[in-house]
Amino acid sequence: MKFDEEFKGILIEAIDEGLKSILGENGKKVIYYHLKELYGLEREEIPEKLEIFTEYINKIFGLGAKIIEITIIKTLCLKLKLEYKEKKTKFIDYIEELYKDYMKKYKRK
Amino acid sequence: MNAQYKYYEISLVLVIFLILIYVFQGFYYDFMYIFSNIFPPIISGIVFCFSILAFKKYWTKIKEYFSMIWLCFSIGLGFWFLGETTWAIYTLILGVELPFPSIADIFWLIGYIPIFISLFLYVKSFSKVLSNKTIYSTTIITIILLIIIFITLIIPVFEIEFSINTIISSAYPILDIILLHITILGFLIFYKGKIGKSWLFINLGFTSYVIADLLFNYFITYGTYYCGHPLELLFHFGDLSLILAFYIHMKEL
Repeated sequence: MKFDEEFKGILIEAIDEGLKSILGENGKKVIYYHLKELYGLEREEIPEKLEIFTEYINKIFGLGAKIIEITIIKTLCLKLKLEYKEKKTKFIDYIEELYKDYMKKYKRK
Repeated sequence: MNAQYKYYEISLVLVIFLILIYVFQGFYYDFMYIFSNIFPPIISGIVFCFSILAFKKYWTKIKEYFSMIWLCFSIGLGFWFLGETTWAIYTLILGVELPFPSIADIFWLIGYIPIFISLFLYVKSFSKVLSNKTIYSTTIITIILLIIIFITLIIPVFEIEFSINTIISSAYPILDIILLHITILGFLIFYKGKIGKSWLFINLGFTSYVIADLLFNYFITYGTYYCGHPLELLFHFGDLSLILAFYIHMKEL
Protein backbone atom coordinates (compact mmCIF):
# COMPACT_ATOMS: atom_id res chain seq x y z
CA MET A 1 0.00 0.00 0.00
CA LYS A 2 1.27 3.48 -0.83
CA PHE A 3 1.11 5.97 2.01
CA ASP A 4 0.92 9.72 1.62
CA GLU A 5 3.96 11.80 2.58
CA GLU A 6 2.49 13.10 5.83
CA PHE A 7 1.62 9.62 7.05
CA LYS A 8 5.06 8.36 6.07
CA GLY A 9 6.64 11.11 8.18
CA ILE A 10 4.47 10.24 11.19
CA LEU A 11 5.18 6.51 10.73
CA ILE A 12 8.95 7.13 10.65
CA GLU A 13 8.65 9.17 13.86
CA ALA A 14 6.66 6.32 15.46
CA ILE A 15 9.26 3.75 14.40
CA ASP A 16 12.00 6.03 15.73
CA GLU A 17 10.31 6.45 19.09
CA GLY A 18 9.24 2.81 19.33
CA LEU A 19 12.74 1.50 18.71
CA LYS A 20 14.26 4.10 21.00
CA SER A 21 11.93 3.33 23.89
CA ILE A 22 12.99 -0.32 23.87
CA LEU A 23 16.55 -0.35 22.55
CA GLY A 24 17.69 3.17 23.39
CA GLU A 25 19.12 5.73 21.00
CA ASN A 26 22.18 3.67 20.08
CA GLY A 27 20.23 0.43 19.74
CA LYS A 28 17.92 2.24 17.32
CA LYS A 29 20.89 3.52 15.32
CA VAL A 30 22.27 -0.02 15.12
CA ILE A 31 18.98 -1.27 13.65
CA TYR A 32 19.01 1.46 11.00
CA TYR A 33 22.67 0.79 10.28
CA HIS A 34 22.05 -2.93 9.74
CA LEU A 35 18.99 -2.26 7.57
CA LYS A 36 21.13 -0.08 5.35
CA GLU A 37 24.08 -2.48 5.31
CA LEU A 38 22.13 -5.69 4.79
CA TYR A 39 19.15 -4.55 2.73
CA GLY A 40 20.23 -1.15 1.40
CA LEU A 41 17.20 0.27 3.18
CA GLU A 42 17.42 3.88 4.41
CA ARG A 43 15.42 5.00 7.44
CA GLU A 44 13.21 7.22 5.24
CA GLU A 45 12.37 4.28 2.97
CA ILE A 46 11.04 2.04 5.75
CA PRO A 47 7.34 3.01 5.32
CA GLU A 48 7.53 1.88 1.70
CA LYS A 49 9.24 -1.39 2.56
CA LEU A 50 7.71 -2.34 5.85
CA GLU A 51 8.01 -6.05 5.04
CA ILE A 52 11.82 -5.76 5.03
CA PHE A 53 11.73 -3.93 8.36
CA THR A 54 9.51 -6.56 10.01
CA GLU A 55 11.49 -9.41 8.49
CA TYR A 56 14.69 -7.94 9.91
CA ILE A 57 13.45 -7.30 13.45
CA ASN A 58 11.86 -10.77 13.53
CA LYS A 59 15.15 -12.25 12.41
CA ILE A 60 16.96 -10.48 15.23
CA PHE A 61 14.52 -10.63 18.14
CA GLY A 62 12.40 -13.70 17.41
CA LEU A 63 9.20 -13.50 19.44
CA GLY A 64 10.56 -10.33 21.04
CA ALA A 65 9.96 -8.49 17.75
CA LYS A 66 6.24 -8.49 18.59
CA ILE A 67 6.92 -6.09 21.47
CA ILE A 68 8.75 -3.68 19.18
CA GLU A 69 5.89 -3.87 16.66
CA ILE A 70 3.25 -3.26 19.32
CA THR A 71 5.22 -0.30 20.72
CA ILE A 72 5.47 1.24 17.24
CA ILE A 73 1.75 0.74 16.62
CA LYS A 74 0.84 2.25 20.01
CA THR A 75 3.07 5.27 19.32
CA LEU A 76 1.55 5.66 15.87
CA CYS A 77 -2.00 5.51 17.31
CA LEU A 78 -1.04 8.20 19.82
CA LYS A 79 0.36 10.43 17.10
CA LEU A 80 -2.66 9.95 14.88
CA LYS A 81 -5.03 10.36 17.84
CA LEU A 82 -6.56 6.99 17.01
CA GLU A 83 -7.54 4.40 19.58
CA TYR A 84 -5.18 1.45 20.01
CA LYS A 85 -6.92 -1.90 20.03
CA GLU A 86 -5.20 -5.18 20.67
CA LYS A 87 -5.55 -7.29 17.53
CA LYS A 88 -4.08 -10.46 16.17
CA THR A 89 -3.43 -8.71 12.87
CA LYS A 90 0.07 -8.69 11.38
CA PHE A 91 2.15 -5.54 11.86
CA ILE A 92 1.91 -4.42 8.22
CA ASP A 93 -1.85 -5.08 8.06
CA TYR A 94 -2.36 -3.09 11.26
CA ILE A 95 -0.38 -0.15 9.87
CA GLU A 96 -2.48 -0.27 6.70
CA GLU A 97 -5.68 -0.31 8.74
CA LEU A 98 -4.45 2.71 10.67
CA TYR A 99 -3.65 4.45 7.41
CA LYS A 100 -7.20 3.88 6.20
CA ASP A 101 -8.59 5.23 9.49
CA TYR A 102 -6.25 8.19 9.26
CA MET A 103 -7.38 8.95 5.71
CA LYS A 104 -11.01 8.73 6.78
CA LYS A 105 -10.44 10.97 9.79
CA TYR A 106 -8.18 13.65 8.38
CA LYS A 107 -8.24 13.54 4.61
CA ARG A 108 -11.94 13.25 3.94
CA LYS A 109 -12.90 15.94 1.42
CA MET B 1 29.63 -14.91 9.85
CA ASN B 2 33.21 -16.11 9.42
CA ALA B 3 34.38 -14.01 12.36
CA GLN B 4 31.70 -15.66 14.50
CA TYR B 5 32.93 -19.14 13.55
CA LYS B 6 36.46 -18.03 14.33
CA TYR B 7 35.31 -17.19 17.87
CA TYR B 8 33.67 -20.62 18.15
CA GLU B 9 36.87 -22.27 17.01
CA ILE B 10 39.01 -20.27 19.45
CA SER B 11 36.59 -21.16 22.26
CA LEU B 12 36.66 -24.85 21.35
CA VAL B 13 40.44 -24.87 21.31
CA LEU B 14 40.47 -23.11 24.68
CA VAL B 15 38.00 -25.64 26.13
CA ILE B 16 40.16 -28.56 24.97
CA PHE B 17 43.29 -26.83 26.25
CA LEU B 18 41.70 -26.22 29.67
CA ILE B 19 40.47 -29.81 29.93
CA LEU B 20 43.95 -31.12 29.12
CA ILE B 21 45.56 -28.80 31.68
CA TYR B 22 43.20 -30.03 34.42
CA VAL B 23 43.40 -33.70 33.41
CA PHE B 24 47.18 -33.85 33.52
CA GLN B 25 47.63 -31.63 36.57
CA GLY B 26 49.34 -34.43 38.47
CA PHE B 27 52.48 -33.78 36.44
CA TYR B 28 52.79 -30.11 37.37
CA TYR B 29 51.21 -29.54 40.76
CA ASP B 30 53.00 -26.23 41.48
CA PHE B 31 52.13 -24.79 38.10
CA MET B 32 48.53 -25.91 38.55
CA TYR B 33 48.22 -24.00 41.82
CA ILE B 34 49.39 -20.82 40.09
CA PHE B 35 47.28 -21.44 36.98
CA SER B 36 44.19 -22.14 39.05
CA ASN B 37 44.54 -18.76 40.74
CA ILE B 38 45.75 -16.65 37.83
CA PHE B 39 43.46 -17.86 35.05
CA PRO B 40 40.09 -16.93 36.71
CA PRO B 41 40.87 -13.18 37.02
CA ILE B 42 42.13 -13.20 33.42
CA ILE B 43 39.03 -14.84 31.95
CA SER B 44 36.61 -12.92 34.16
CA GLY B 45 38.52 -9.76 33.17
CA ILE B 46 37.85 -10.63 29.53
CA VAL B 47 34.15 -11.17 30.33
CA PHE B 48 34.16 -7.76 32.05
CA CYS B 49 35.86 -6.15 29.01
CA PHE B 50 33.25 -7.62 26.65
CA SER B 51 30.47 -6.29 28.85
CA ILE B 52 32.14 -2.86 28.78
CA LEU B 53 32.31 -3.03 24.97
CA ALA B 54 28.60 -3.87 24.85
CA PHE B 55 27.91 -1.09 27.35
CA LYS B 56 29.84 1.38 25.17
CA LYS B 57 27.94 0.26 22.11
CA TYR B 58 24.46 0.55 23.61
CA TRP B 59 24.93 3.37 26.11
CA THR B 60 23.13 6.67 25.54
CA LYS B 61 21.77 7.85 28.86
CA ILE B 62 20.80 6.38 32.22
CA LYS B 63 17.06 6.87 31.67
CA GLU B 64 17.07 4.48 28.74
CA TYR B 65 16.23 0.87 29.48
CA PHE B 66 18.85 -0.60 27.21
CA SER B 67 21.60 1.66 28.55
CA MET B 68 20.65 0.71 32.10
CA ILE B 69 20.71 -3.00 31.24
CA TRP B 70 24.28 -2.88 29.96
CA LEU B 71 25.43 -0.55 32.72
CA CYS B 72 24.18 -3.05 35.32
CA PHE B 73 25.72 -5.98 33.45
CA SER B 74 29.10 -4.23 33.43
CA ILE B 75 28.89 -3.26 37.11
CA GLY B 76 27.96 -6.81 38.12
CA LEU B 77 30.67 -8.44 36.06
CA GLY B 78 33.09 -5.81 37.35
CA PHE B 79 32.32 -7.00 40.90
CA TRP B 80 32.83 -10.63 39.84
CA PHE B 81 36.16 -9.66 38.31
CA LEU B 82 37.10 -7.94 41.58
CA GLY B 83 36.10 -11.12 43.41
CA GLU B 84 38.40 -13.25 41.27
CA THR B 85 41.24 -10.74 41.60
CA THR B 86 40.85 -10.57 45.37
CA TRP B 87 40.94 -14.38 45.57
CA ALA B 88 44.15 -14.40 43.49
CA ILE B 89 45.73 -11.74 45.73
CA TYR B 90 44.90 -13.81 48.82
CA THR B 91 46.33 -17.03 47.41
CA LEU B 92 49.32 -15.84 45.39
CA ILE B 93 50.45 -12.74 47.30
CA LEU B 94 49.20 -13.15 50.87
CA GLY B 95 49.76 -16.91 50.89
CA VAL B 96 46.27 -17.88 52.09
CA GLU B 97 45.74 -21.32 50.60
CA LEU B 98 41.94 -21.31 50.56
CA PRO B 99 40.51 -17.81 51.16
CA PHE B 100 36.94 -18.84 51.86
CA PRO B 101 34.98 -16.97 53.09
CA SER B 102 36.78 -13.71 52.38
CA ILE B 103 36.36 -10.22 50.93
CA ALA B 104 36.22 -11.90 47.53
CA ASP B 105 32.83 -13.33 48.52
CA ILE B 106 31.53 -9.84 49.28
CA PHE B 107 32.39 -8.75 45.74
CA TRP B 108 30.89 -11.88 44.20
CA LEU B 109 27.68 -11.62 46.20
CA ILE B 110 27.25 -7.89 45.52
CA GLY B 111 27.78 -8.62 41.82
CA TYR B 112 24.60 -10.70 41.71
CA ILE B 113 22.42 -7.63 42.40
CA PRO B 114 23.27 -5.58 39.27
CA ILE B 115 23.36 -8.73 37.13
CA PHE B 116 19.90 -9.66 38.38
CA ILE B 117 18.65 -6.12 37.61
CA SER B 118 20.08 -6.18 34.08
CA LEU B 119 18.66 -9.60 33.19
CA PHE B 120 15.33 -8.74 34.79
CA LEU B 121 15.04 -5.43 32.89
CA TYR B 122 15.98 -7.07 29.60
CA VAL B 123 13.49 -9.89 29.92
CA LYS B 124 10.77 -7.68 31.43
CA SER B 125 10.78 -5.33 28.46
CA PHE B 126 9.93 -8.23 26.15
CA SER B 127 8.10 -10.52 28.56
CA LYS B 128 4.60 -9.75 27.25
CA VAL B 129 5.17 -12.12 24.35
CA LEU B 130 5.37 -15.01 26.78
CA SER B 131 2.10 -16.61 27.79
CA ASN B 132 1.26 -16.88 31.47
CA LYS B 133 1.42 -20.65 31.01
CA THR B 134 5.06 -20.43 29.89
CA ILE B 135 6.02 -18.09 32.73
CA TYR B 136 4.25 -20.23 35.37
CA SER B 137 5.63 -23.52 34.08
CA THR B 138 9.18 -22.13 33.98
CA THR B 139 8.74 -20.79 37.51
CA ILE B 140 7.37 -24.12 38.76
CA ILE B 141 10.29 -25.99 37.16
CA THR B 142 12.73 -23.58 38.84
CA ILE B 143 11.04 -24.03 42.23
CA ILE B 144 11.09 -27.85 41.85
CA LEU B 145 14.78 -27.63 40.90
CA LEU B 146 15.46 -25.49 43.96
CA ILE B 147 13.65 -27.95 46.22
CA ILE B 148 15.59 -30.91 44.76
CA ILE B 149 18.88 -29.06 45.23
CA PHE B 150 17.92 -28.12 48.78
CA ILE B 151 17.05 -31.68 49.72
CA THR B 152 19.91 -33.44 47.98
CA LEU B 153 22.80 -31.01 48.30
CA ILE B 154 22.19 -28.06 50.59
CA ILE B 155 20.47 -29.70 53.58
CA PRO B 156 23.14 -32.47 53.81
CA VAL B 157 25.76 -29.71 53.83
CA PHE B 158 23.94 -27.87 56.64
CA GLU B 159 23.67 -31.12 58.60
CA ILE B 160 27.44 -31.41 58.58
CA GLU B 161 28.08 -27.79 59.40
CA PHE B 162 25.70 -24.89 59.85
CA SER B 163 27.91 -21.85 59.80
CA ILE B 164 28.54 -18.61 57.94
CA ASN B 165 30.77 -20.63 55.58
CA THR B 166 28.04 -23.03 54.54
CA ILE B 167 25.45 -20.25 54.33
CA ILE B 168 27.69 -18.30 51.96
CA SER B 169 28.64 -21.31 49.86
CA SER B 170 24.97 -22.33 49.61
CA ALA B 171 23.93 -18.81 48.61
CA TYR B 172 25.82 -19.02 45.32
CA PRO B 173 23.91 -21.89 43.66
CA ILE B 174 20.60 -20.46 44.87
CA LEU B 175 21.40 -17.04 43.39
CA ASP B 176 22.63 -18.72 40.20
CA ILE B 177 19.35 -20.57 39.82
CA ILE B 178 17.39 -17.34 40.24
CA LEU B 179 19.48 -15.78 37.46
CA LEU B 180 19.14 -18.93 35.36
CA HIS B 181 15.36 -18.73 35.71
CA ILE B 182 15.37 -15.25 34.13
CA THR B 183 17.80 -16.26 31.40
CA ILE B 184 15.60 -19.23 30.45
CA LEU B 185 12.70 -16.81 29.96
CA GLY B 186 15.00 -14.61 27.89
CA PHE B 187 15.93 -17.57 25.73
CA LEU B 188 12.27 -18.49 25.23
CA ILE B 189 11.62 -14.94 23.99
CA PHE B 190 14.55 -14.66 21.62
CA TYR B 191 15.39 -18.22 20.53
CA LYS B 192 13.89 -17.75 17.07
CA GLY B 193 15.94 -14.62 16.50
CA LYS B 194 19.62 -14.08 15.94
CA ILE B 195 20.17 -12.80 19.47
CA GLY B 196 18.65 -16.10 20.61
CA LYS B 197 22.13 -17.55 20.16
CA SER B 198 23.45 -14.96 22.58
CA TRP B 199 20.76 -15.98 25.09
CA LEU B 200 21.60 -19.64 24.55
CA PHE B 201 25.18 -18.95 25.62
CA ILE B 202 23.98 -16.86 28.60
CA ASN B 203 21.91 -19.90 29.61
CA LEU B 204 24.83 -22.28 29.14
CA GLY B 205 26.98 -19.91 31.21
CA PHE B 206 24.60 -19.74 34.14
CA THR B 207 23.92 -23.48 33.98
CA SER B 208 27.68 -24.01 34.31
CA TYR B 209 27.77 -21.61 37.26
CA VAL B 210 24.88 -23.42 38.98
CA ILE B 211 26.59 -26.81 38.70
CA ALA B 212 30.01 -25.38 39.59
CA ASP B 213 28.70 -23.55 42.67
CA LEU B 214 26.76 -26.61 43.83
CA LEU B 215 29.87 -28.76 43.57
CA PHE B 216 31.97 -26.07 45.23
CA ASN B 217 29.47 -25.92 48.10
CA TYR B 218 29.63 -29.68 48.45
CA PHE B 219 33.42 -30.10 48.20
CA ILE B 220 34.30 -27.14 50.39
CA THR B 221 32.06 -28.50 53.16
CA TYR B 222 33.63 -31.94 52.95
CA GLY B 223 37.07 -30.31 52.90
CA THR B 224 37.97 -31.88 49.56
CA TYR B 225 38.21 -28.70 47.50
CA TYR B 226 41.69 -27.58 46.46
CA CYS B 227 43.06 -24.98 44.02
CA GLY B 228 43.10 -26.72 40.66
CA HIS B 229 40.03 -28.89 41.38
CA PRO B 230 38.43 -29.99 38.09
CA LEU B 231 35.16 -28.30 39.08
CA GLU B 232 36.91 -25.01 38.26
CA LEU B 233 36.52 -25.98 34.61
CA LEU B 234 32.80 -25.32 34.92
CA PHE B 235 33.46 -21.77 36.13
CA HIS B 236 35.78 -21.25 33.15
CA PHE B 237 33.20 -22.68 30.74
CA GLY B 238 30.62 -20.33 32.24
CA ASP B 239 32.88 -17.33 31.68
CA LEU B 240 33.66 -18.47 28.16
CA SER B 241 29.94 -18.81 27.41
CA LEU B 242 29.31 -15.27 28.61
CA ILE B 243 32.13 -13.95 26.38
CA LEU B 244 30.52 -15.66 23.39
CA ALA B 245 27.09 -14.38 24.43
CA PHE B 246 28.25 -10.76 24.56
CA TYR B 247 30.22 -11.11 21.34
CA ILE B 248 27.22 -12.53 19.46
CA HIS B 249 24.92 -9.89 20.92
CA MET B 250 27.18 -7.09 19.74
CA LYS B 251 27.64 -8.72 16.36
CA GLU B 252 23.95 -9.27 15.71
CA LEU B 253 22.52 -6.10 17.21
